[in-house]
Amino acid sequence: MSATADSTPKDPAKSSISVELKDIVQEYPAPGGGITRVVEGINLVFDRPGINMLLGPSGCGKSTILHMLGGVRPLHAKTPTSGSIRIDGIECEDAHDDSVMVFQRYANRPDLSVFDNVAFPFTLNLWKKRVAEPEWRKRVAEILEAVGLSEKKSLRPSQLSGGQNQRVALARALVLRTRILLMDEPFGALDAQTREEMQLLLVDLYGKWPCLIVFVTHDVTEALVLGDRVIVLSAQPATVADDFAIFAPRPRSAEWQRSEEAVLLEKRILAQLHRAAGKGSVRVTV
Amino acid sequence: MGDFWNPYLPPSSPQRRALGIGSVASVLLLWSLIAATGLVSPSRLPAPWDVVRALGYLAWHDGESMLFTATLWSAGRLVVAGILVICIGIPIGIFMGAAPRINAAVSPLVDPFRSAPVVALLPILVMWLGIGEAMKIAFLFTGAVVYLIPMVRDAIQAVPQGYWISARDLGATPWECIRKAVIPMAMPRISDAIIVAFSVMWTYITVAEYVNAKSGLGQLIQNSRRFSAWDQVFAGIFVIVALALLTYQLMVRIKRRLYPWETQQ
Repeated sequence: MSATADSTPKDPAKSSISVELKDIVQEYPAPGGGITRVVEGINLVFDRPGINMLLGPSGCGKSTILHMLGGVRPLHAKTPTSGSIRIDGIECEDAHDDSVMVFQRYANRPDLSVFDNVAFPFTLNLWKKRVAEPEWRKRVAEILEAVGLSEKKSLRPSQLSGGQNQRVALARALVLRTRILLMDEPFGALDAQTREEMQLLLVDLYGKWPCLIVFVTHDVTEALVLGDRVIVLSAQPATVADDFAIFAPRPRSAEWQRSEEAVLLEKRILAQLHRAAGKGSVRVTV
Repeated sequence: MGDFWNPYLPPSSPQRRALGIGSVASVLLLWSLIAATGLVSPSRLPAPWDVVRALGYLAWHDGESMLFTATLWSAGRLVVAGILVICIGIPIGIFMGAAPRINAAVSPLVDPFRSAPVVALLPILVMWLGIGEAMKIAFLFTGAVVYLIPMVRDAIQAVPQGYWISARDLGATPWECIRKAVIPMAMPRISDAIIVAFSVMWTYITVAEYVNAKSGLGQLIQNSRRFSAWDQVFAGIFVIVALALLTYQLMVRIKRRLYPWETQQ
């Protein structure tokens, strides 16, 4: 990430990246003593830009894995309990600047305008040093245009709808042009129609600024519509139950969703999820 | 009666005003009746009109305004003490809120004073600082800062953790998270703490000005009491109440203008 990085779309194949999760185990102290194992022996490799869907039943530990990748660690426990996460071969132990997260509950600041919310990272020393002001102003303007909020840049988050707020959160994450984007059920709190709009927007933005996206969801349709790769996790303690690629071009129409390919994939995922559900008492949200 | 016991249904603003004015007017009326009928002797309860006359006397007599001079003195002390409370109390509260270990170390030194009799400290302050301005300002400062510090700390701790985490994820250092995310988000509640501090100082001003009374509203009340001029004592108290209310209203208005986003959240 250099100060002069140009804003023209890059060829995803050209930017190289390697993220490796090796033998990840996560345990938390259980309430009332004892230990709960949340994640058990996860091995995953991401070696190219693309949209990777992390799909699993509610509470299976998929967010835990995502937070580990982002270096956003809970305070009360060591994460991971064992195993290692390497980004480009370098062990990742704390917050790092290769990735940025988008949370389900948008962390937009109510005291800042839309513009200032998106420009917020550039008030931090880390990014101030890396990106000169004319460059970041250009980027903020560009990303606001891309998410369709140019007209609303002086409004405050409370004056926006839920979907618009999530666009702000997405814009703030993308404006940094990090190589990794981590999304923790970002559209989970939105109504069905807005969710669909946001999925289309994400596909569009990914086309403009490709990067490695790891997207946590419990929505099978969302996984099928967005993913280049779908990783299905089992119920807690989470293990990789299935891992496959989808080659259909995006945006994937409602027609594609009814195609034989999609229906078979959906069945395959549902079978895994039901098996996962049988393992413990977890809710399967479809 | 369906709308009466409903805390979520405020009255219309004309209705609210009518009720407020009505209740104040009733008390004034009752007070006037008691004074007019001579039910209570004027040496114990001065009549409202005598208080108004005393107010006029204090406001302008013999080419000078005792009231204005006294108000300037009291307000001056309040402002100096207020600036000290803000400059010293807010950083301490922020550090306590932002670093639990500082809180653990400092809160045993601060929190007990909230329920301690601050007035009892006055003789000690006199012993240390004499009977001049330093003592009066130190007393106001102590009385207010013990309220402000815990409120500022709580304001910091009340900021949802999500803002801290999000800033951290975006690459902020822990101190940057505090400075650029947590403090701006805590500002409305920090402002509330400042407003409370000023209200507390108005209540302590008379006590601060009792010792070596030479100037100020406290001295004015103290002097009047000495001469059993109860109408002037009442007038002095009303002036302090009015000034405290005015300060409060003004500060609340400034706060709303500075942080309009707070109520929209």
